[in-house]
Amino acid sequence: MKTLLQARGASFQAAFLIVFCIAMMVVDHRFHHLEIVRSNISLALTPLRYLVSLPATGGNWIGDWFTSHTELLNENEALKDERRILSARLQKLEILAEENARLRNLLGASRTIADDVIVAELLSVDQNPYRQLIEIDKGSSDGIEIGHAVIDDFGVMGQVIHVNPQSATIILISDPEHAIPVQFIRSGTRSVAFGRGSTRQLELRYLPATADIMVDDELVTSGLGGRFPPDYPVARVTAISEDRVRGFVSVLAEPKARLDSSREVLVIKPSE
Amino acid sequence: MSQFKYLVIYLSLLVALVLMILPLPDWVQIYRPNWIALTLIYWSMALPKHVGLWFAFITGIILDTSLGTLLGQHTLALVIIIFINQNFYQRIRVLSLAQQAIYILVLLLIDQVVVAWVEGILGRPTPLLAFFGAPFIGMLIWPWVFVVLRDIRRKALVR
Repeated sequence: MKTLLQARGASFQAAFLIVFCIAMMVVDHRFHHLEIVRSNISLALTPLRYLVSLPATGGNWIGDWFTSHTELLNENEALKDERRILSARLQKLEILAEENARLRNLLGASRTIADDVIVAELLSVDQNPYRQLIEIDKGSSDGIEIGHAVIDDFGVMGQVIHVNPQSATIILISDPEHAIPVQFIRSGTRSVAFGRGSTRQLELRYLPATADIMVDDELVTSGLGGRFPPDYPVARVTAISEDRVRGFVSVLAEPKARLDSSREVLVIKPSE
Repeated sequence: MSQFKYLVIYLSLLVALVLMILPLPDWVQIYRPNWIALTLIYWSMALPKHVGLWFAFITGIILDTSLGTLLGQHTLALVIIIFINQNFYQRIRVLSLAQQAIYILVLLLIDQVVVAWVEGILGRPTPLLAFFGAPFIGMLIWPWVFVVLRDIRRKALVR
């Protein structure tokens, strides 16, 4: 085919390639047929990604190496304290979980509580500067699939959109193309939080003006839509603006997860 | 041997790709010059027989994959600027580096327009500063890219 095209001259070749590129973009945007091309090229480029994230990883490693003895002791002490507090809380939580399960049994409802979790580390790779995508070092060979939810120790970060055998791409909840079903803890109102392209802001549009919302309200995943497991913290309301003309309220919220600084993330495998 | 001597082209493009995805602070990121476009333009001027539209196409697909953009977005831009370059390189090659740099600015802006159009169709407008910033920086570093790649080419004896 290449020689056939070359015989027709450069303009013909260029026109063919331009049309081909446009067709490819449409297919890539609308359907998922090109996912296999993408993941194969990505796999071939995996060493490159590791190479690129080497300075950051190396920096951390050197930092670890030179941490002084006293600092380590202090950190150890602090961690022990934290562990003590957490295990004390956990005891209470276990009792509550048991009680919750018993009550659910009484109600005849069933909901799995334990989710399977994979710990992954970020690869520091910059992608498209106008989007909020990150790359992690675990992929389909570790059991990660498209659509799995990703959290850090503070809240929901996003979900997996591309998987390669050794790495995966995650779209953050702050990406302009991302929306996550949420629920206000206090009032139980359900809504959808959209990304705005900034790691510090989410937006909830078109809430009814009568909705019971206050600044500092906590938002958790509602579990609707089935992508995100329910009851993980998402954001905290920072501002409420009313559109009196149309009778809607739009709400700004700050994500709980540290979208721009977490280095370790947890990928949640939904339990069947 | 003849295959082996073109290795330097692939290596330079690999370095350009690393520079494209190397993490930078957010405020510098939008000024990141299009290293791949600069490298590709150089090789298409120096070795137009070897580095043509298909070369640009394959490089573009790899770039789109690494940047997480739509497959075809940067590819389309690269194919278009390499096509333009194929029609002009004989006249541009003899100009001084400063004059070449202005021509490079035009090519990089065309590249940027194509990428920004696709972004716009997808509903993600490109900020004005980012639109003009990166091609402008690309223009400023062109003389340097040109000299470095020319020296590499001469060392590697690619003609």
